[in-house]
Amino acid sequence: MSKMENNNCATCPAHNLANLTKLGVDMTNFDYVVALAGNPNTGKSTVFNNMTGLRQHTGNWPGKTVGRAEGGFIYADKRFKIVDLPGTYSLLSTSTDEEIARDFILFGQPDVTVIVVDATRLERNLNLVLQVLEITERAVVCLNLMDEAKRHKIQIDYRTLSKSLGVPVVPTSARQGDGIKELLNSIYQVSIGEYKCKPHRISNEIKNVSNAVEKLNRIISEKFPQLPNTRWIALRLLEGDQKIIDAVRSGEIGSLSRSDEMVVK
Amino acid sequence: MEPLITLIVGIGVLVVIILIAAPEKGLWSRWAKQKTQREKVLVEDALKHLYDCEYNNIDCTLNSISGNLSISGDQASKLISKLEELGLIVRKNGKIILTNEGRLYALRIIRTHRLWEKYLADNTSVNETDWHNLAELKEHELSNDEVNKLAARLGNPLQDPHGDPIPSESGEIPKVKYFDLSQLSVGKFGRIYHIEDEPGEVFAQINAQGLYPGMQVRVLEKSNTRIKFEYEGEECVLAPVLASNVHVIPLEDNEEITKDFENLSSISVGEEVVVVALSKALRGQQRRRMLDFGIVPGTLIKAQLKSLSGDPTAYEVRGTTIALRKNQSDKIYIKRKEKV
Amino acid sequence: MMNVINRSKNELIISEASKLRWEIGENLHDSIIESIYMDAEKISGKVVSFIGEKPKFDFDRIVDKIVTSKWTGFPIMFLILAFVFWLTIVGSNYPSRLLASFFVDTIHPILKDYANIIGLPLFIGGVLIDGAYISMAWVVSVMLPPMAIFFPMFTLLEDFGYLPRVAFNMDNLYRRVGAHGKQALTMSMGFGCNAAGVIATRIIDSPRERLIAIITNNFSLCNGRWPTQILIATIFIGSLVPPVFGGLISAAAVVAIALLGIFLSLVVSWGLSKTVLKGEASAFSLELPPYRPPRILQTLYTSLIDRTIFVLGRAVVFAIPAGMVIWLVSNINVNEISLAEHFIKWFDLYALIIGLNGVIVLAYVIAIPANEIVIPTILMLTILTLGISDVGAGSGILFELDNAADVASILHAGGWTTLTGINLMLFSLLHNPCSTTIFTIYKETGSIKWTLISTILPILMGLTVCFFLTQIWRISSGI
Repeated sequence: MSKMENNNCATCPAHNLANLTKLGVDMTNFDYVVALAGNPNTGKSTVFNNMTGLRQHTGNWPGKTVGRAEGGFIYADKRFKIVDLPGTYSLLSTSTDEEIARDFILFGQPDVTVIVVDATRLERNLNLVLQVLEITERAVVCLNLMDEAKRHKIQIDYRTLSKSLGVPVVPTSARQGDGIKELLNSIYQVSIGEYKCKPHRISNEIKNVSNAVEKLNRIISEKFPQLPNTRWIALRLLEGDQKIIDAVRSGEIGSLSRSDEMVVK
Repeated sequence: MEPLITLIVGIGVLVVIILIAAPEKGLWSRWAKQKTQREKVLVEDALKHLYDCEYNNIDCTLNSISGNLSISGDQASKLISKLEELGLIVRKNGKIILTNEGRLYALRIIRTHRLWEKYLADNTSVNETDWHNLAELKEHELSNDEVNKLAARLGNPLQDPHGDPIPSESGEIPKVKYFDLSQLSVGKFGRIYHIEDEPGEVFAQINAQGLYPGMQVRVLEKSNTRIKFEYEGEECVLAPVLASNVHVIPLEDNEEITKDFENLSSISVGEEVVVVALSKALRGQQRRRMLDFGIVPGTLIKAQLKSLSGDPTAYEVRGTTIALRKNQSDKIYIKRKEKV
Repeated sequence: MMNVINRSKNELIISEASKLRWEIGENLHDSIIESIYMDAEKISGKVVSFIGEKPKFDFDRIVDKIVTSKWTGFPIMFLILAFVFWLTIVGSNYPSRLLASFFVDTIHPILKDYANIIGLPLFIGGVLIDGAYISMAWVVSVMLPPMAIFFPMFTLLEDFGYLPRVAFNMDNLYRRVGAHGKQALTMSMGFGCNAAGVIATRIIDSPRERLIAIITNNFSLCNGRWPTQILIATIFIGSLVPPVFGGLISAAAVVAIALLGIFLSLVVSWGLSKTVLKGEASAFSLELPPYRPPRILQTLYTSLIDRTIFVLGRAVVFAIPAGMVIWLVSNINVNEISLAEHFIKWFDLYALIIGLNGVIVLAYVIAIPANEIVIPTILMLTILTLGISDVGAGSGILFELDNAADVASILHAGGWTTLTGINLMLFSLLHNPCSTTIFTIYKETGSIKWTLISTILPILMGLTVCFFLTQIWRISSGI
């Protein structure tokens, strides 16, 4: 029943509560959950501290290599829980950190995933951004280190970037605290569904394999018509990703569909 | 206490410890190896041998089994009776044939062996000449469950590092058509599909030439005594015996040919070049890290800085500075930009 | 029924996928990343532009050229690190003494008086105030100031971007022993505190190289061991030469021990990478970030919270029970003499073979929480066994003397020779990590096996080195 209600509620939280609990996130006192992803060395933790105002207790998660921190903030009367994921270059490789980040975004379905990006090395950072946009429908790009970019005479047309990526892009200089308010506002708007993301999907044909991908894609979308990005699942299956194989086998993958598509305007 | 006597006793104790604990040659590791020589190992090795015969359409005999497992003929015939008892083989007109069950069992051992080789290649720093021997031991130790977990962790790979297909859990294995390198005609390009890892001495010799599955080769000259070919800009001569252990697939026309490309390590500071390919020898984590950094075919890359001892070198890639060791940049093929 | 149909449909997807995988081969991962980067290139090409001309004066490039050049690279690295160490040692001297006099000379008597007033039994007061409190006070006053100076300076260098260049310069050496260039950094961090050095190995993202860095970190002579080295070198080595050269020679001896530590860390790294760690994954990657102006206040704050307080907290937790144990073994008497004396007599038999003595061995056993309290423990145990009562604060109570000559006379009375001194210096370098570090290693590796190896390996090395040195020394000196 609750699922039906979800489908008709544009402002309801999108996260998968059961999975979040499994991942160890306590959501009792929060309305929305925000995941913070980004390459290492992009000032991710500065952004995190700025958003939480460092007043919040930042408990280290028991991760094997690098801990994940949790914090919270209140914006426009909504209570947000923010989970700092380990800094990674990619979500496709096999390291523990990348698996933690990938599983959280995919199975926890945070209401918003904020991707912190180093403005001085946009191209390299876009690798992670594009990968995140493949697996989530709700994201905000935080274009950090704008002060550094300025020092290096780099100019970024963030409006065009936002249009290309289909998600809000907020320029910030977290070290100075610039742009954090705007970032919070964007997070809020995406959370309550006021801003509808149309995430960019990898457009290029993938060398030598497009036939196989298309074939598999067709079968998957037949079985799970509500899934927004079946091509990505096809790619993961073709790479032999055991987590995804298991999720397809158990049918869990079907429950990860976003409800936005169902909303009738 | 007399110091001289104490010193001698001390040295004695040290020598004894080294004798016992030395890796590979020590008493401890010898004992550990001995322990694995049990019946189960013999059964499994025999099944593997029988499967090999079947795969290559050769008839297996008692002799070939006793030779392959280095056991006496008497032991071999006992072993065969045992296998028959277990329902893993049947004997028909003097031929030894695998039953369905026996074949599946053999494939499971082969799957374990090849997965373990893949694991060693991708996730450890074990030398390639040791992969086969370590896998020979490991294949008898892992349970079915452990094997499946290992496969999942490795992303369910299809081929082992020698290019051999890894059978699936249900024992499926595809047949691929390949030739010996000695059969490739002069002037033709081929891609190394597989390098036979047995016997070990031959593999070590081929390996010493730096050949890997996935490498592109072209035969330059062929005679009864030697085969001369080039790969990645280098020339290499192999005796036909060795060359027949290198299996190749003829290249189709549309595959990009990477023969005369230089290595990234050959460029000098300040030079900017284009990446054309990553060598197959760049494996596992190493390879994924390179890709994460955005080092893919078509990437512009510029040597920026040499460390004060000359290695590693820092390269500018997509606006970031990344240090690569020479043994990494050796495995990245580049093309110099044409002067405009 | 529905479920069964659903399942079989799901299985169909999976079996179709595995069939297709054989067709497309193993290059898919490469191709996917290639496609992503093609898009990334397109997008960033559209939105990124440079204002005006590219700056002629490229600060980063020039700094890089200087710090990695053959001629200036090493001197700069050496000077910066030497400055950091010098400032740590010199700068922490005064605050350490201040803290010690506050905690030990001021607060301790007050606590004792208070215990008397409320009528606390002598035994309880001894365990809590003379044992637990004093040991905690020592640990805080000797550990806090150097860490509060060393960590922020190190963090500033890290934030500025210099440290990755050090790793870049040193990598060639570390590559040869199968390790990562960043180990040069974690090793330097270990000179401040091994526990912090072990935590710092998080910067190494390749599992094998990280384990090597963790296990060998203990060979960096940490802050807690420098004073021991300096004191013992002054008493036993400086005294061998005319007083004019005394200072110089003893300083040289200490530096030699530190260099021996670096050398051994390389040898052990090599050995580990060739044997037990052969089976661990290895992937080198090192990014050189752009230089960024460090933010002093932020750095002070985070390095104090994340490193100093964190490590200190762990040390205090271990110091309290150890302090109790120290007091108890010195005050519980069995057959007229204390437990400590029993132990010392028993250890003496074996310790003399390796050129140490029972006091030193017992001190290293019970002072496991911090190397800083080894010398106070040795002094306390020595006067306890000798029955001297005019120095120190009483049995089981740690103390230190300001004058090296006074320490020397106590140690000589305890039967120490030059050989004992040299062996103590070697053993101080080569023994188990302190309990804080052991606990940290366990936390970081999550493995009992690696924790045990990192704990036992240096002790075995220390015992072996001391043993052989002692026999050779005795043979050559004809005793």
